[in-house]
Amino acid sequence: MAFFFQELVNGITTGALYALVALGFTMVYGVLKLLNFAHGDLYMIGAYIGFFVIQWFGGPNALTIPVPLLLVIMFVLAAGLVGGLGVAIERFAYRPLRDAPRIAPLITAIGISFFLENSALLLFGAQPRIYNTPQFISFSSGIQIGSVSIDAVQILVLVLGLVLMVGLRLLVNRTKVGRQMRAVAADREAAEMLGINVNFTIAATFFIGSALAGVAGVMGGLLFNQVTATIGFIAGLKAFTAAVVGGIGSIPGAVLGGLLLGVAESFITGYISSTFTNLFVFALLIAVMLVRPSGLLGRAQLQKV
Amino acid sequence: MKGRSAIIAATALGALVAAGCGSSGSSSNAGGTATKSCVATIGMEGPLTGPVAFLGQEQLHFAQLAVARDNLANKTKISLTQGDTQLNPAQATTVTQQFTSNSKIVAVVGPAGSQEVQAVGPLMARAGLAFVSGSATAAALTTGKYPTFFRTVSKDSVQGPQDANYIVNNLHPKALMIVDDQEAYSTGLVSVMVPIFKAAGIKVDHQSVSQKVTDFSSLVAKVTPDTTVVVLPWQVAANAQQFGRNLAQQNKKALIFGTDGLYDPKSFTIKGSYVSSFGPDITAIPADAPIAAAAKAKYGSFGTFGPPTFAATHVVDEAIAAVCKSGQTPSRANVLAQIKKTNQPATILGQPIKFDSNGDLVNGKFFLFKINSAGKYQLIPSG
Repeated sequence: MAFFFQELVNGITTGALYALVALGFTMVYGVLKLLNFAHGDLYMIGAYIGFFVIQWFGGPNALTIPVPLLLVIMFVLAAGLVGGLGVAIERFAYRPLRDAPRIAPLITAIGISFFLENSALLLFGAQPRIYNTPQFISFSSGIQIGSVSIDAVQILVLVLGLVLMVGLRLLVNRTKVGRQMRAVAADREAAEMLGINVNFTIAATFFIGSALAGVAGVMGGLLFNQVTATIGFIAGLKAFTAAVVGGIGSIPGAVLGGLLLGVAESFITGYISSTFTNLFVFALLIAVMLVRPSGLLGRAQLQKV
Repeated sequence: MKGRSAIIAATALGALVAAGCGSSGSSSNAGGTATKSCVATIGMEGPLTGPVAFLGQEQLHFAQLAVARDNLANKTKISLTQGDTQLNPAQATTVTQQFTSNSKIVAVVGPAGSQEVQAVGPLMARAGLAFVSGSATAAALTTGKYPTFFRTVSKDSVQGPQDANYIVNNLHPKALMIVDDQEAYSTGLVSVMVPIFKAAGIKVDHQSVSQKVTDFSSLVAKVTPDTTVVVLPWQVAANAQQFGRNLAQQNKKALIFGTDGLYDPKSFTIKGSYVSSFGPDITAIPADAPIAAAAKAKYGSFGTFGPPTFAATHVVDEAIAAVCKSGQTPSRANVLAQIKKTNQPATILGQPIKFDSNGDLVNGKFFLFKINSAGKYQLIPSG
């Protein structure tokens, strides 16, 4: 039973991370109907920002500021800078193509993804950068229930992930900018006619989605301990899968998809086979898609003819 | 419009003139001074980008260093053409096709991975192009299938039994987990080691995980209390570091025993772990001090992937120099013939380099290190 709960904790933690990245993916798709393949690379940039903040304050073995303050700076800087980068990408790479055929921004997104990955390789080198989290966040500061271990970083990821997901839900449902986002997602031209600043709303969506990816990047660095220029690919792929399974465009769907993916991976590795994890996970997800082609919480699109 | 046409015409004319000058220049070079000044080009295949780019960059740096030093020593004009394989057999095939169709290239250093050698071996053989790897260790590579292949490192059939016997005789596990990373290098070693463990009565849990995965928490949950050793024949040191971190996180006491790719003092620092490597720590070899100092000054710190590639490049450089000394112009055929005759008693690796008829290093050995309580890699006798 302890093994079951250990795998459950592992799965939910990884799933929370997938969910956070998937949120940005699904938000951008919601307002622009664009599959932003560069989104995983924003996660990678966030992870690098976290790494350099640790180095800036003396490195993992000789921090010059308290750990809680360090974490706040890491998350805030990653959110702000990656959010800003997301806005810049939207402004210069996607906005000029907003009225172009759908394939054009898709190719641009792939191009931006390679641009970010190769820029990181050029700027930061190929050597993995190691967070060395255990040097400043001890495992002993976590919780031990019987033989189930939940370390402090996992708790941090779960709590912060939950706070951000609830916060995003409130922002989208209860604030003016959230209403504008929903309006633009529903019908961009109608929203514009009603006086909504569409450009601002799309930029705000990119900022929030990218900021979440940046925060997830720092979480990933703390959790998985390493950053390379290529980590964005897998993160983006998992986020895309989570968003589609949950119902692309649906915020609760992205959360559900991320958690489902993380838990499925963990249980299949634990109980069936680590060799064929992806085979079983994707077989399961295909089965879900066959039953609900719009995703678990997605809505079927009516097409006017 | 007229202006634009004039510019295009002028540019085209200029390009034609430049091409004409270039071509006459290079032909006079090739015809007149090639044999005198010994001009040749070597291809270098390695994972220069991608998840193991740190490894490929180190190999590239040491290849560049070897070419620079050998050019000075032998008065040759050897240049290096790079090809990025990303440790991907398909990418390696594309790069090799470019190299084989480039008639200036007389030999190749690399590729890095055994799976890549398997992919490019037939192409190299068809082109009569010698290729010398400084890190491909699969035993199957030197059974005569790839007649133009050579390596400056020993093979898995030496490393696998050596490491497995060390674990059986010195670490005495009752149960162990062995995890391959789904690459030919890793699965090859696992297939050699598992029968030895089983023959010694050890309970073996064989797992497999993609090289691209960086979260091992669910795999580590499967490490049972009586599992005292986890064998990781992996190529990415940072992944093993994360595996070790996940072990500590879940209060698992098993120690890690890794192979070649884990030799990376910057990325893999789990205390008490063992790492077996095809390359020595050249900073501990007095004769290598000038090379180690030059490498450190120019490229920073390095691990064990660079020196065997330096040795591989040196083998090719010396073969080209020998061809020139005999009054011939370097070609694929005469460089290949010369590489086969390689006999270097003293090398950067601290052991002689001589190839058998299948391109294998004669009397090659592996080196075993233990990471001590200070996080330093200590060479230990491995038997």
